[in-house]
Amino acid sequence: MLSPDMLELDDMERDALTEVFNIGVGQAASAMSQMVNDRVELSVPSISFTSRAAAALELTHDAGQRICGVSQRFQGSFEADAILMFPENKSLEIVRLMIGDDMPIEELTAMEQEALTEIGNIILNALIGTLANVFGSEFSSSLPAFHFGTSSEILQAERKNADDLVMLLHVDFKLETHQINGYVAFLLDVSSVQGLRDSINRFMGNIAR
Amino acid sequence: MIGAAESNSAEQRMNKKTLLIVDDSRVSRMMIRALVLERQPEWQIFEAGNGEEAINQVRENMPDYVTMDMNMPGMDGVAASEQIRQAYPTTKIVLLTANIQESSRQKAQQLGLAFVTKPITAACIDQALAFYAQP
Repeated sequence: MLSPDMLELDDMERDALTEVFNIGVGQAASAMSQMVNDRVELSVPSISFTSRAAAALELTHDAGQRICGVSQRFQGSFEADAILMFPENKSLEIVRLMIGDDMPIEELTAMEQEALTEIGNIILNALIGTLANVFGSEFSSSLPAFHFGTSSEILQAERKNADDLVMLLHVDFKLETHQINGYVAFLLDVSSVQGLRDSINRFMGNIAR
Repeated sequence: MIGAAESNSAEQRMNKKTLLIVDDSRVSRMMIRALVLERQPEWQIFEAGNGEEAINQVRENMPDYVTMDMNMPGMDGVAASEQIRQAYPTTKIVLLTANIQESSRQKAQQLGLAFVTKPITAACIDQALAFYAQP
């Protein structure tokens, strides 16, 4: 069986992946900032190898907290689930920031799920599109799926197995004026880690030329 | 010499274009519609939620312009644009998508579509309108 040690990236690979992921979340943050008209602060990306159950805890520090999430599966030189998550009690505020104050609350509520799905679609595509452009490859994607529940439920929504080992890349974001926190996470099954590693090494090879 | 009233009427006819908005997200369609109508209140706007609907709408309404999302259930925006371009080569299509990959930009270019990336903002709608206004 594969252990986390066997999957570890060396320092150069980790550094390159953090840098590329940083560029991707930078694009995603820029897209989000334009949509909600607020400055978006990002944390430093974190990379770890862990189980889906532990990944859920790592993301929210509270496995019971109810959150909204939008996920998309991307397939190309590697496969990954990209997920955007934010607290349930802030979701309507995010939609209002996107659509504006003119719409009555009933209509806004009716559109909440659809609006959040589109926000997720734009942010996750900004991230994965940047990775594709940096790696010089092409990714196809599933349609965005909306989830509501705990982080454990959302992370296991696609695969249903809490013990699955995954590579977790994540970054926390905060809308500065509105004090809304969220997370963008990127989960790779272990079978995809080698594909990612190859992409990183090609990227580093191109830089070194 | 054309009188002022006649000239205004000709201008109004020129301004009264038709636009088909194709996007599976109702929120996106709503935002595009609002931003376009702010700038072109005379335009008539139709909507479609996927590629098949888009092709039917084009057959029925023959719009001057189209904004086309890329990733949609059923027929995607690239396939739909390809069919529309073949049947109606003068229809101007903007691929308005969250998919910012270079490969998507190239596909748009090959089909003669403008490529504008989401999020839907005033600036991206201005970009689309500038493309439509080109001779």
